[in-house]
Amino acid sequence: MATYEAKSEVTGSVWKIVTEVGQKLEPGDTLMIIESMKMEIPVIAEDGGIVAEFRVSEGVPVTEGQVVAVMEG
Amino acid sequence: MAQSDQSADWQPELEELAFRRRQSELLGGDDAVRKHHEQGRLTIRERIGGLVDAGSFQEVGRLTGQGRYEGAALVGVTPAPYVMGLARIDERPVALGGEDFTVRGGTSWSGDRKKGGQGGFVEDLAHQYRIPLVNLIDGSGGSVTSIQRRGHSVFPGVHGFERSVQLMGEVPVVCAVMGTAAGGPAGRAILSHWSVMVRDTSQVFAAGPPVVERSLGQKITKEELGGHKLAVDVAGTIDNVAASEQQCFEMIRRYLSYMPANVWELPPVVSSGDPADRCEDALRGIVPRNRRQPYDMRKLIGLVVDRDSAFEIQPSFGRAVITCLARMNGKTVGIVANNPAIYGGAIDVKAARKQTHFVELCDTFHIPLVFLVDVPGFMVGKDAEAAATLREGMRSVYVGLQASVPIFTVVIRKCYGMAGMGATDKNGLDLKIAWPSAEWGSLPIEGGVAAAFRREIAQAPDPRAREQQLEEELRAAASPFRTAEAFGVEEIIDPRETRQYLCRFIDAAQARLRTTVGPKARYGVRP
Repeated sequence: MATYEAKSEVTGSVWKIVTEVGQKLEPGDTLMIIESMKMEIPVIAEDGGIVAEFRVSEGVPVTEGQVVAVMEG
Repeated sequence: MAQSDQSADWQPELEELAFRRRQSELLGGDDAVRKHHEQGRLTIRERIGGLVDAGSFQEVGRLTGQGRYEGAALVGVTPAPYVMGLARIDERPVALGGEDFTVRGGTSWSGDRKKGGQGGFVEDLAHQYRIPLVNLIDGSGGSVTSIQRRGHSVFPGVHGFERSVQLMGEVPVVCAVMGTAAGGPAGRAILSHWSVMVRDTSQVFAAGPPVVERSLGQKITKEELGGHKLAVDVAGTIDNVAASEQQCFEMIRRYLSYMPANVWELPPVVSSGDPADRCEDALRGIVPRNRRQPYDMRKLIGLVVDRDSAFEIQPSFGRAVITCLARMNGKTVGIVANNPAIYGGAIDVKAARKQTHFVELCDTFHIPLVFLVDVPGFMVGKDAEAAATLREGMRSVYVGLQASVPIFTVVIRKCYGMAGMGATDKNGLDLKIAWPSAEWGSLPIEGGVAAAFRREIAQAPDPRAREQQLEEELRAAASPFRTAEAFGVEEIIDPRETRQYLCRFIDAAQARLRTTVGPKARYGVRP
Protein backbone atom coordinates (compact mmCIF):
# COMPACT_ATOMS: atom_id res chain seq x y z
CA MET A 1 0.00 0.00 0.00
CA ALA A 2 1.35 3.42 -0.93
CA THR A 3 2.27 5.72 1.90
CA TYR A 4 2.93 9.42 2.05
CA GLU A 5 4.23 11.83 4.66
CA ALA A 6 2.25 14.69 6.10
CA LYS A 7 4.41 17.71 6.90
CA SER A 8 3.98 20.84 8.97
CA GLU A 9 3.95 23.94 6.81
CA VAL A 10 5.20 26.08 9.66
CA THR A 11 7.52 26.16 12.65
CA GLY A 12 5.58 26.05 15.91
CA SER A 13 4.31 23.45 18.37
CA VAL A 14 1.75 20.68 18.13
CA TRP A 15 -1.38 22.06 19.76
CA LYS A 16 -3.93 19.31 19.17
CA ILE A 17 -3.91 15.97 17.41
CA VAL A 18 -7.49 15.63 16.20
CA THR A 19 -7.24 12.15 14.66
CA GLU A 20 -6.16 8.67 15.76
CA VAL A 21 -3.93 5.99 14.30
CA GLY A 22 -6.05 3.77 12.07
CA GLN A 23 -8.61 6.49 11.37
CA LYS A 24 -9.72 6.88 7.74
CA LEU A 25 -9.58 10.44 6.41
CA GLU A 26 -10.97 12.08 3.31
CA PRO A 27 -8.66 14.24 1.15
CA GLY A 28 -8.30 17.64 2.80
CA ASP A 29 -9.22 16.48 6.31
CA THR A 30 -7.29 17.96 9.22
CA LEU A 31 -4.79 15.61 10.89
CA MET A 32 -3.58 17.88 13.65
CA ILE A 33 -3.24 21.54 14.51
CA ILE A 34 0.06 23.35 14.89
CA GLU A 35 0.18 26.53 16.96
CA SER A 36 2.40 29.10 15.29
CA MET A 37 2.47 32.87 15.70
CA LYS A 38 -0.64 32.53 17.92
CA MET A 39 -2.49 30.93 15.02
CA GLU A 40 -3.98 27.47 14.66
CA ILE A 41 -2.47 26.09 11.49
CA PRO A 42 -3.93 22.74 10.38
CA VAL A 43 -1.87 19.89 8.95
CA ILE A 44 -3.94 18.47 6.13
CA ALA A 45 -4.08 14.91 4.84
CA GLU A 46 -3.97 16.08 1.25
CA ASP A 47 -4.77 12.74 -0.36
CA GLY A 48 -6.81 11.29 2.51
CA GLY A 49 -6.19 7.67 3.54
CA ILE A 50 -5.58 5.89 6.83
CA VAL A 51 -3.45 7.40 9.60
CA ALA A 52 -0.55 4.94 9.92
CA GLU A 53 1.74 6.71 12.37
CA PHE A 54 2.25 9.95 14.24
CA ARG A 55 5.82 11.19 14.45
CA VAL A 56 5.01 13.88 17.03
CA SER A 57 2.88 14.29 20.14
CA GLU A 58 0.95 17.22 21.55
CA GLY A 59 3.08 20.00 22.93
CA VAL A 60 6.28 19.21 21.08
CA PRO A 61 7.96 21.80 18.88
CA VAL A 62 8.02 21.23 15.11
CA THR A 63 9.91 22.91 12.31
CA GLU A 64 8.78 23.93 8.87
CA GLY A 65 8.66 20.92 6.56
CA GLN A 66 8.97 18.38 9.41
CA VAL A 67 7.17 15.09 8.88
CA VAL A 68 4.48 14.85 11.57
CA ALA A 69 2.53 11.81 10.39
CA VAL A 70 2.59 8.99 7.88
CA MET A 71 -0.52 8.18 5.88
CA GLU A 72 -1.44 5.07 3.95
CA GLY A 73 -3.18 5.99 0.77
CA MET B 1 17.69 54.82 -75.85
CA ALA B 2 17.11 51.12 -76.20
CA GLN B 3 17.13 49.06 -72.99
CA SER B 4 20.04 46.71 -72.47
CA ASP B 5 19.10 43.18 -73.42
CA GLN B 6 21.21 41.91 -70.56
CA SER B 7 18.54 41.13 -67.93
CA ALA B 8 19.41 41.54 -64.25
CA ASP B 9 19.35 37.88 -63.34
CA TRP B 10 20.38 37.28 -59.71
CA GLN B 11 19.33 33.65 -59.80
CA PRO B 12 22.64 32.20 -58.51
CA GLU B 13 22.66 34.55 -55.54
CA LEU B 14 18.98 33.89 -54.78
CA GLU B 15 19.67 30.16 -54.89
CA GLU B 16 22.55 30.63 -52.47
CA LEU B 17 20.29 32.66 -50.19
CA ALA B 18 17.68 29.89 -50.25
CA PHE B 19 20.38 27.30 -49.53
CA ARG B 20 21.76 29.30 -46.62
CA ARG B 21 18.26 29.72 -45.21
CA ARG B 22 17.63 25.98 -45.43
CA GLN B 23 20.90 25.41 -43.59
CA SER B 24 19.70 27.58 -40.70
CA GLU B 25 16.64 25.34 -40.33
CA LEU B 26 18.90 22.34 -39.74
CA LEU B 27 20.14 23.76 -36.45
CA GLY B 28 22.99 21.61 -35.10
CA GLY B 29 22.13 18.65 -37.35
CA ASP B 30 19.85 15.64 -37.08
CA ASP B 31 21.85 13.84 -34.37
CA ALA B 32 22.08 16.87 -32.12
CA VAL B 33 18.37 17.62 -32.55
CA ARG B 34 17.44 14.01 -31.81
CA LYS B 35 19.53 14.00 -28.61
CA HIS B 36 17.93 17.28 -27.57
CA HIS B 37 14.45 15.84 -28.11
CA GLU B 38 15.37 12.69 -26.20
CA GLN B 39 16.06 14.85 -23.18
CA GLY B 40 12.49 16.08 -23.33
CA ARG B 41 13.39 19.46 -24.75
CA LEU B 42 12.20 21.38 -27.78
CA THR B 43 14.57 23.11 -30.18
CA ILE B 44 14.78 26.89 -30.17
CA ARG B 45 12.78 27.10 -33.40
CA GLU B 46 10.07 24.83 -31.95
CA ARG B 47 10.04 26.97 -28.82
CA ILE B 48 9.57 30.18 -30.74
CA GLY B 49 6.87 28.51 -32.85
CA GLY B 50 5.07 27.34 -29.71
CA LEU B 51 5.19 30.72 -28.03
CA VAL B 52 4.29 33.36 -30.61
CA ASP B 53 1.26 34.00 -32.78
CA ALA B 54 1.24 31.57 -35.71
CA GLY B 55 3.37 32.79 -38.62
CA SER B 56 4.39 35.99 -36.83
CA PHE B 57 8.11 35.29 -36.36
CA GLN B 58 10.34 37.57 -38.40
CA GLU B 59 13.83 36.31 -37.87
CA VAL B 60 16.84 38.62 -37.76
CA GLY B 61 20.28 37.24 -38.47
CA ARG B 62 19.14 34.06 -40.17
CA LEU B 63 22.35 33.74 -42.18
CA THR B 64 24.69 33.95 -39.21
CA GLY B 65 26.99 31.02 -38.58
CA GLN B 66 30.10 29.33 -39.76
CA GLY B 67 30.26 28.64 -43.50
CA ARG B 68 31.94 25.48 -44.72
CA TYR B 69 33.69 25.81 -48.06
CA GLU B 70 35.43 23.52 -50.52
CA GLY B 71 37.70 25.89 -52.29
CA ALA B 72 35.43 28.80 -53.03
CA ALA B 73 32.28 26.66 -53.07
CA LEU B 74 29.91 26.78 -50.11
CA VAL B 75 28.97 23.29 -48.95
CA GLY B 76 27.19 24.06 -45.71
CA VAL B 77 26.66 26.46 -42.82
CA THR B 78 26.66 25.65 -39.12
CA PRO B 79 24.20 28.18 -37.74
CA ALA B 80 25.09 30.57 -34.96
CA PRO B 81 23.85 29.15 -31.65
CA TYR B 82 21.25 31.87 -31.13
CA VAL B 83 17.94 32.46 -32.93
CA MET B 84 16.07 35.74 -32.48
CA GLY B 85 13.87 38.36 -34.05
CA LEU B 86 10.54 40.06 -33.95
CA ALA B 87 7.20 38.33 -33.37
CA ARG B 88 3.72 38.95 -32.05
CA ILE B 89 2.13 37.56 -28.91
CA ASP B 90 -1.63 38.11 -28.77
CA GLU B 91 -1.17 40.47 -31.71
CA ARG B 92 1.31 42.69 -29.85
CA PRO B 93 4.95 42.93 -30.99
CA VAL B 94 7.75 41.44 -28.92
CA ALA B 95 11.47 40.95 -29.34
CA LEU B 96 12.49 37.42 -28.52
CA GLY B 97 15.35 35.00 -28.86
CA GLY B 98 17.10 32.05 -27.36
CA GLU B 99 20.19 29.90 -27.46
CA ASP B 100 20.26 26.93 -29.82
CA PHE B 101 21.58 24.19 -27.57
CA THR B 102 22.05 21.85 -30.52
CA VAL B 103 24.91 24.03 -31.77
CA ARG B 104 27.84 23.69 -29.36
CA GLY B 105 25.50 23.67 -26.37
CA GLY B 106 24.37 27.23 -27.04
CA THR B 107 27.74 28.69 -26.07
CA SER B 108 28.74 32.17 -27.16
CA TRP B 109 29.62 32.79 -30.78
CA SER B 110 32.20 35.08 -32.34
CA GLY B 111 30.27 37.14 -34.88
CA ASP B 112 30.81 40.83 -35.54
CA ARG B 113 27.76 41.66 -33.48
CA LYS B 114 26.19 39.73 -30.63
CA LYS B 115 22.73 38.37 -31.47
CA GLY B 116 21.35 37.67 -28.01
CA GLY B 117 22.09 37.55 -24.33
CA GLN B 118 23.36 40.64 -22.59
CA GLY B 119 24.15 43.41 -25.05
CA GLY B 120 22.83 41.45 -28.02
CA PHE B 121 20.81 42.77 -30.95
CA VAL B 122 17.61 41.40 -29.46
CA GLU B 123 18.07 43.66 -26.42
CA ASP B 124 18.72 46.64 -28.69
CA LEU B 125 15.53 45.77 -30.58
CA ALA B 126 13.46 45.80 -27.39
CA HIS B 127 15.11 49.05 -26.27
CA GLN B 128 14.85 50.94 -29.54
CA TYR B 129 11.30 49.87 -30.38
CA ARG B 130 10.13 49.87 -26.76
CA ILE B 131 8.59 46.42 -26.94
CA PRO B 132 8.70 43.54 -24.45
CA LEU B 133 11.70 41.21 -24.48
CA VAL B 134 11.40 37.44 -24.07
CA ASN B 135 14.59 35.46 -23.49
CA LEU B 136 14.36 31.67 -23.92
CA ILE B 137 17.53 30.69 -22.10
CA ASP B 138 19.32 27.43 -22.76
CA GLY B 139 23.05 27.99 -22.53
CA SER B 140 26.02 27.84 -20.25
CA GLY B 141 27.74 31.08 -21.16
CA GLY B 142 31.46 31.37 -21.47
CA SER B 143 33.97 28.55 -21.72
CA VAL B 144 37.67 28.52 -21.01
CA THR B 145 38.12 27.15 -24.53
CA SER B 146 37.60 30.71 -25.77
CA ILE B 147 41.09 31.51 -24.44
CA GLN B 148 42.51 29.05 -26.98
CA ARG B 149 40.32 30.45 -29.75
CA ARG B 150 41.05 34.10 -29.10
CA GLY B 151 44.60 33.79 -27.84
CA HIS B 152 43.76 35.90 -24.80
CA SER B 153 41.38 35.91 -21.83
CA VAL B 154 38.38 38.25 -22.07
CA PHE B 155 37.91 40.79 -19.30
CA PRO B 156 34.54 40.43 -17.48
CA GLY B 157 32.00 42.85 -18.86
CA VAL B 158 33.22 43.08 -22.45
CA HIS B 159 29.68 41.96 -23.16
CA GLY B 160 28.19 43.63 -20.11
CA PHE B 161 24.75 43.88 -18.59
CA GLU B 162 24.35 47.64 -19.22
CA ARG B 163 21.50 47.26 -21.70
CA SER B 164 19.88 44.50 -19.66
CA VAL B 165 19.77 46.83 -16.66
CA GLN B 166 18.46 49.72 -18.75
CA LEU B 167 15.64 47.55 -20.06
CA MET B 168 14.41 46.88 -16.52
CA GLY B 169 13.12 50.45 -16.39
CA GLU B 170 11.75 50.53 -19.92
CA VAL B 171 9.95 47.41 -21.17
CA PRO B 172 8.67 44.13 -19.70
CA VAL B 173 11.47 41.57 -19.65
CA VAL B 174 10.60 37.88 -19.34
CA CYS B 175 13.25 35.22 -18.94
CA ALA B 176 12.40 31.54 -19.29
CA VAL B 177 15.06 29.03 -18.33
CA MET B 178 14.44 26.20 -20.79
CA GLY B 179 17.52 24.07 -20.18
CA THR B 180 20.62 24.19 -18.01
CA ALA B 181 21.72 27.78 -17.50
CA ALA B 182 24.98 28.70 -15.82
CA GLY B 183 27.19 31.77 -15.78
CA GLY B 184 26.14 34.68 -18.00
CA PRO B 185 22.85 33.19 -19.23
CA ALA B 186 21.89 32.35 -15.64
CA GLY B 187 22.70 35.90 -14.58
CA ARG B 188 20.73 37.19 -17.53
CA ALA B 189 17.70 35.19 -16.32
CA ILE B 190 17.70 37.13 -13.06
CA LEU B 191 17.69 40.51 -14.82
CA SER B 192 14.01 40.19 -15.62
CA HIS B 193 10.68 41.36 -14.33
CA TRP B 194 9.39 37.83 -14.31
CA SER B 195 11.18 34.51 -14.72
CA VAL B 196 10.03 30.95 -15.17
CA MET B 197 11.68 27.54 -15.53
CA VAL B 198 10.49 24.11 -16.63
CA ARG B 199 10.11 21.29 -14.11
CA ASP B 200 12.75 18.54 -14.36
CA THR B 201 14.26 19.71 -17.66
CA SER B 202 15.77 23.02 -16.58
CA GLN B 203 18.31 24.06 -13.98
CA VAL B 204 19.90 27.37 -13.09
CA PHE B 205 23.01 28.18 -11.05
CA ALA B 206 26.00 30.47 -10.95
CA ALA B 207 28.21 27.46 -11.64
CA GLY B 208 27.42 23.82 -12.30
CA PRO B 209 28.36 20.58 -10.50
CA PRO B 210 31.94 20.26 -11.89
CA VAL B 211 32.90 23.72 -10.64
CA VAL B 212 31.19 23.08 -7.29
CA GLU B 213 33.04 19.83 -6.83
CA ARG B 214 36.38 21.41 -7.71
CA SER B 215 35.76 24.45 -5.47
CA LEU B 216 34.10 22.89 -2.45
CA GLY B 217 34.46 19.16 -2.83
CA GLN B 218 30.68 18.80 -2.91
CA LYS B 219 29.28 16.10 -5.15
CA ILE B 220 25.85 17.19 -6.24
CA THR B 221 23.58 16.66 -9.22
CA LYS B 222 22.54 19.56 -11.38
CA GLU B 223 18.91 19.01 -10.39
CA GLU B 224 19.82 19.18 -6.70
CA LEU B 225 21.94 22.28 -7.32
CA GLY B 226 19.61 24.24 -9.54
CA GLY B 227 16.35 22.41 -10.21
CA HIS B 228 13.02 24.06 -9.50
CA LYS B 229 12.79 22.72 -5.95
CA LEU B 230 15.81 24.77 -4.99
CA ALA B 231 15.72 27.65 -7.47
CA VAL B 232 12.00 28.38 -7.23
CA ASP B 233 10.69 26.97 -3.94
CA VAL B 234 13.65 27.52 -1.62
CA ALA B 235 15.73 30.33 -3.10
CA GLY B 236 13.25 32.34 -5.16
CA THR B 237 15.98 32.75 -7.77
CA ILE B 238 13.37 32.06 -10.44
CA ASP B 239 9.76 33.14 -9.91
CA ASN B 240 7.55 30.35 -11.24
CA VAL B 241 7.80 26.78 -12.48
CA ALA B 242 5.96 25.31 -15.46
CA ALA B 243 5.05 21.64 -15.74
CA SER B 244 6.13 21.51 -19.39
CA GLU B 245 7.58 23.72 -22.09
CA GLN B 246 4.09 24.13 -23.53
CA GLN B 247 2.75 25.33 -20.20
CA CYS B 248 5.74 27.65 -19.94
CA PHE B 249 4.72 29.33 -23.21
CA GLU B 250 1.14 29.71 -21.96
CA MET B 251 2.41 31.31 -18.77
CA ILE B 252 4.60 33.77 -20.70
CA ARG B 253 1.65 34.79 -22.86
CA ARG B 254 -0.50 35.15 -19.78
CA TYR B 255 2.07 37.28 -17.95
CA LEU B 256 2.53 39.62 -20.89
CA SER B 257 -1.24 40.05 -21.25
CA TYR B 258 -1.22 42.14 -18.05
CA MET B 259 1.68 44.31 -19.14
CA PRO B 260 1.94 47.46 -21.23
CA ALA B 261 4.39 47.36 -24.15
CA ASN B 262 6.62 49.78 -22.24
CA VAL B 263 6.61 52.22 -19.33
CA TRP B 264 5.37 55.06 -21.55
CA GLU B 265 2.02 53.27 -21.87
CA LEU B 266 -0.63 51.98 -19.51
CA PRO B 267 -1.45 48.27 -19.36
CA PRO B 268 -4.11 47.10 -21.80
CA VAL B 269 -7.73 47.19 -20.66
CA VAL B 270 -9.82 44.15 -21.54
CA SER B 271 -13.53 43.54 -21.50
CA SER B 272 -13.87 41.21 -18.53
CA GLY B 273 -17.57 40.40 -18.86
CA ASP B 274 -17.65 40.25 -15.07
CA PRO B 275 -19.93 42.86 -13.47
CA ALA B 276 -18.04 45.37 -11.36
CA ASP B 277 -20.87 45.28 -8.81
CA ARG B 278 -20.84 41.50 -8.41
CA CYS B 279 -21.40 40.66 -4.74
CA GLU B 280 -20.23 37.33 -3.39
CA ASP B 281 -22.07 36.08 -0.31
CA ALA B 282 -19.18 33.72 0.38
CA LEU B 283 -17.08 36.72 1.42
CA ARG B 284 -19.37 37.44 4.34
CA GLY B 285 -18.35 34.35 6.27
CA ILE B 286 -14.86 33.72 4.93
CA VAL B 287 -13.05 35.13 7.98
CA PRO B 288 -13.59 32.93 11.07
CA ARG B 289 -14.68 34.65 14.26
CA ASN B 290 -11.92 32.73 16.03
CA ARG B 291 -8.97 35.04 15.43
CA ARG B 292 -6.58 32.11 15.70
CA GLN B 293 -8.04 30.29 12.74
CA PRO B 294 -6.65 30.88 9.27
CA TYR B 295 -8.77 31.04 6.13
CA ASP B 296 -8.22 30.67 2.41
CA MET B 297 -6.84 34.00 1.18
CA ARG B 298 -6.52 32.71 -2.39
CA LYS B 299 -10.23 31.94 -2.42
CA LEU B 300 -10.89 35.46 -1.12
CA ILE B 301 -8.80 36.96 -3.93
CA GLY B 302 -10.66 34.88 -6.51
CA LEU B 303 -14.00 36.17 -5.25
CA VAL B 304 -12.92 39.82 -5.45
CA VAL B 305 -11.03 40.14 -8.75
CA ASP B 306 -12.41 39.58 -12.27
CA ARG B 307 -13.30 35.89 -12.67
CA ASP B 308 -10.26 33.67 -13.37
CA SER B 309 -8.05 36.71 -13.82
CA ALA B 310 -5.51 36.07 -11.03
CA PHE B 311 -2.01 35.02 -12.09
CA GLU B 312 0.14 34.27 -9.09
CA ILE B 313 3.80 35.30 -9.06
CA GLN B 314 6.16 33.22 -6.89
CA PRO B 315 3.41 30.98 -5.47
CA SER B 316 5.84 28.63 -3.72
CA PHE B 317 8.31 31.18 -2.31
CA GLY B 318 7.78 33.57 0.60
CA ARG B 319 4.35 32.07 1.10
CA ALA B 320 3.34 34.37 3.96
CA VAL B 321 2.51 36.84 1.20
CA ILE B 322 0.51 36.11 -1.95
CA THR B 323 1.32 38.28 -4.95
CA CYS B 324 -0.75 38.15 -8.13
CA LEU B 325 -1.44 40.10 -11.22
CA ALA B 326 -5.18 40.25 -11.79
CA ARG B 327 -7.85 42.44 -13.32
CA MET B 328 -10.64 44.49 -11.84
CA ASN B 329 -13.29 45.68 -14.24
CA GLY B 330 -10.81 44.80 -17.00
CA LYS B 331 -7.91 46.86 -15.64
CA THR B 332 -4.66 45.27 -14.51
CA VAL B 333 -4.05 45.41 -10.77
CA GLY B 334 -1.38 43.97 -8.51
CA ILE B 335 -2.66 42.09 -5.48
CA VAL B 336 -0.52 41.81 -2.36
CA ALA B 337 -2.31 39.65 0.19
CA ASN B 338 -1.07 38.30 3.50
CA ASN B 339 -1.59 34.59 3.93
CA PRO B 340 -2.89 33.78 7.42
CA ALA B 341 -2.21 30.08 6.86
CA ILE B 342 1.57 30.71 6.86
CA TYR B 343 2.81 32.08 10.16
CA GLY B 344 -0.42 34.00 10.56
CA GLY B 345 0.68 36.20 7.66
CA ALA B 346 3.76 37.50 9.49
CA ILE B 347 6.30 38.90 7.05
CA ASP B 348 9.50 36.87 7.00
CA VAL B 349 12.61 37.51 4.93
CA LYS B 350 11.35 35.67 1.88
CA ALA B 351 7.90 37.23 1.95
CA ALA B 352 9.47 40.68 2.31
CA ARG B 353 11.79 40.10 -0.64
CA LYS B 354 8.89 38.91 -2.75
CA GLN B 355 6.75 41.89 -1.80
CA THR B 356 9.58 44.33 -2.54
CA HIS B 357 10.03 43.01 -6.07
CA PHE B 358 6.31 42.87 -6.79
CA VAL B 359 5.59 46.40 -5.56
CA GLU B 360 8.46 47.76 -7.64
CA LEU B 361 7.23 45.81 -10.67
CA CYS B 362 3.72 47.24 -10.38
CA ASP B 363 4.98 50.76 -9.73
CA THR B 364 7.26 50.60 -12.78
CA PHE B 365 4.45 49.56 -15.11
CA HIS B 366 1.74 51.82 -13.63
CA ILE B 367 -0.28 48.94 -12.22
CA PRO B 368 -2.39 50.00 -9.20
CA LEU B 369 -1.77 47.94 -6.09
CA VAL B 370 -4.41 46.40 -3.85
CA PHE B 371 -3.23 45.28 -0.43
CA LEU B 372 -5.49 42.70 1.21
CA VAL B 373 -4.15 43.01 4.70
CA ASP B 374 -4.00 40.42 7.44
CA VAL B 375 -0.57 40.96 8.91
CA PRO B 376 0.40 40.66 12.57
CA GLY B 377 3.77 42.27 11.81
CA PHE B 378 7.23 41.11 10.91
CA MET B 379 8.14 37.53 11.79
CA VAL B 380 9.65 37.24 15.26
CA GLY B 381 12.13 34.86 16.86
CA LYS B 382 15.85 34.18 16.78
CA ASP B 383 15.76 32.54 13.36
CA ALA B 384 13.90 35.51 11.91
CA GLU B 385 16.35 37.99 13.43
CA ALA B 386 19.33 35.94 12.23
CA ALA B 387 17.89 36.02 8.74
CA ALA B 388 17.65 39.86 8.87
CA THR B 389 13.87 39.96 8.71
CA LEU B 390 13.88 43.47 10.11
CA ARG B 391 16.18 44.76 7.40
CA GLU B 392 14.46 42.97 4.53
CA GLY B 393 11.06 43.92 5.98
CA MET B 394 12.01 47.60 6.17
CA ARG B 395 13.30 47.37 2.62
CA SER B 396 9.83 46.32 1.52
CA VAL B 397 8.35 49.20 3.51
CA TYR B 398 10.88 51.59 1.92
CA VAL B 399 10.02 50.48 -1.61
CA GLY B 400 6.31 50.73 -0.81
CA LEU B 401 6.77 54.27 0.41
CA GLN B 402 8.65 55.20 -2.77
CA ALA B 403 5.92 53.82 -5.01
CA SER B 404 3.82 56.50 -6.69
CA VAL B 405 1.20 54.24 -8.26
CA PRO B 406 -2.22 54.36 -6.53
CA ILE B 407 -2.43 51.88 -3.66
CA PHE B 408 -5.69 50.65 -2.15
CA THR B 409 -5.66 49.10 1.29
CA VAL B 410 -8.33 46.65 2.38
CA VAL B 411 -7.88 45.49 5.95
CA ILE B 412 -9.37 42.02 6.17
CA ARG B 413 -8.29 41.21 9.70
CA LYS B 414 -4.99 42.17 11.34
CA CYS B 415 -2.99 45.24 10.39
CA TYR B 416 -0.17 45.79 12.80
CA GLY B 417 3.10 47.60 13.08
CA MET B 418 5.61 48.46 10.41
CA ALA B 419 4.43 45.68 8.12
CA GLY B 420 0.91 47.13 8.30
CA MET B 421 2.19 50.61 7.53
CA GLY B 422 3.96 49.21 4.48
CA ALA B 423 0.56 48.22 3.09
CA THR B 424 -0.74 51.77 2.83
CA ASP B 425 -0.51 54.64 0.34
CA LYS B 426 1.32 57.24 2.39
CA ASN B 427 2.40 59.18 -0.71
CA GLY B 428 -1.06 59.22 -2.22
CA LEU B 429 -4.69 59.18 -1.19
CA ASP B 430 -4.00 56.84 1.74
CA LEU B 431 -7.38 55.19 1.18
CA LYS B 432 -7.92 52.46 3.74
CA ILE B 433 -11.11 50.46 3.79
CA ALA B 434 -11.74 47.71 6.27
CA TRP B 435 -13.96 44.76 6.94
CA PRO B 436 -15.80 44.51 10.27
CA SER B 437 -13.32 41.77 11.21
CA ALA B 438 -10.45 44.27 11.04
CA GLU B 439 -8.19 45.17 13.93
CA TRP B 440 -5.05 47.29 14.00
CA GLY B 441 -2.46 48.97 16.10
CA SER B 442 1.23 49.26 16.67
CA LEU B 443 1.32 45.66 17.85
CA PRO B 444 -1.26 42.91 18.49
CA ILE B 445 -3.04 43.18 21.82
CA GLU B 446 -1.96 39.74 23.05
CA GLY B 447 1.78 40.36 23.06
CA GLY B 448 1.31 44.08 23.66
CA VAL B 449 -0.56 43.61 26.94
CA ALA B 450 2.06 41.23 28.26
CA ALA B 451 4.77 43.80 27.53
CA ALA B 452 3.02 47.03 28.55
CA PHE B 453 1.36 45.75 31.75
CA ARG B 454 4.09 43.36 32.81
CA ARG B 455 4.35 44.61 36.42
CA GLU B 456 0.59 44.91 36.92
CA ILE B 457 0.03 41.38 35.61
CA ALA B 458 2.83 39.95 37.74
CA GLN B 459 1.46 41.56 40.91
CA ALA B 460 -2.14 40.42 40.33
CA PRO B 461 -3.48 37.55 42.47
CA ASP B 462 -4.21 35.64 39.27
CA PRO B 463 -1.80 36.99 36.64
CA ARG B 464 -3.28 35.00 33.76
CA ALA B 465 -6.83 36.18 34.56
CA ARG B 466 -5.63 39.80 34.82
CA GLU B 467 -3.87 39.54 31.47
CA GLN B 468 -7.03 38.23 29.82
CA GLN B 469 -9.14 40.94 31.46
CA LEU B 470 -6.81 43.65 30.18
CA GLU B 471 -6.86 42.11 26.69
CA GLU B 472 -10.65 42.10 26.63
CA GLU B 473 -10.86 45.73 27.80
CA LEU B 474 -8.43 46.91 25.17
CA ARG B 475 -10.00 44.81 22.42
CA ALA B 476 -13.38 46.44 23.02
CA ALA B 477 -11.80 49.89 22.64
CA ALA B 478 -9.93 48.72 19.51
CA SER B 479 -13.14 48.14 17.53
CA PRO B 480 -12.64 49.26 13.92
CA PHE B 481 -15.89 51.22 14.12
CA ARG B 482 -14.35 53.55 16.71
CA THR B 483 -11.46 54.34 14.37
CA ALA B 484 -13.97 54.92 11.57
CA GLU B 485 -15.77 57.46 13.82
CA ALA B 486 -12.50 59.40 13.90
CA PHE B 487 -11.97 58.98 10.11
CA GLY B 488 -8.75 57.18 10.98
CA VAL B 489 -9.86 54.60 8.47
CA GLU B 490 -11.88 55.91 5.56
CA GLU B 491 -14.58 53.23 5.40
CA ILE B 492 -15.81 50.03 6.94
CA ILE B 493 -17.58 47.91 4.34
CA ASP B 494 -19.62 44.76 4.12
CA PRO B 495 -17.10 42.23 2.73
CA ARG B 496 -19.48 41.59 -0.18
CA GLU B 497 -19.01 45.21 -1.29
CA THR B 498 -15.23 44.86 -1.67
CA ARG B 499 -15.18 44.31 -5.41
CA GLN B 500 -17.61 47.07 -6.18
CA TYR B 501 -15.79 49.56 -3.96
CA LEU B 502 -12.36 48.78 -5.39
CA CYS B 503 -13.58 48.81 -9.00
CA ARG B 504 -14.98 52.32 -8.52
CA PHE B 505 -11.68 53.66 -7.27
CA ILE B 506 -9.53 51.75 -9.77
CA ASP B 507 -11.70 53.09 -12.60
CA ALA B 508 -11.39 56.62 -11.21
CA ALA B 509 -7.61 56.31 -10.89
CA GLN B 510 -7.18 55.73 -14.63
CA ALA B 511 -7.24 59.47 -15.38
CA ARG B 512 -4.44 60.09 -12.93
CA LEU B 513 -2.45 57.09 -14.20
CA ARG B 514 -2.52 58.52 -17.72
CA THR B 515 -0.73 61.63 -16.45
CA THR B 516 2.15 59.76 -14.80
CA VAL B 517 3.38 57.37 -17.48
CA GLY B 518 7.09 57.17 -18.27
CA PRO B 519 10.14 55.84 -16.45
CA LYS B 520 10.11 56.05 -12.67
CA ALA B 521 13.12 57.74 -11.15
CA ARG B 522 14.57 55.84 -8.21
CA TYR B 523 16.57 57.73 -5.64
CA GLY B 524 18.08 57.13 -2.27
CA VAL B 525 19.66 54.00 -0.91
CA ARG B 526 17.55 51.02 -0.03
CA PRO B 527 18.20 49.93 3.55
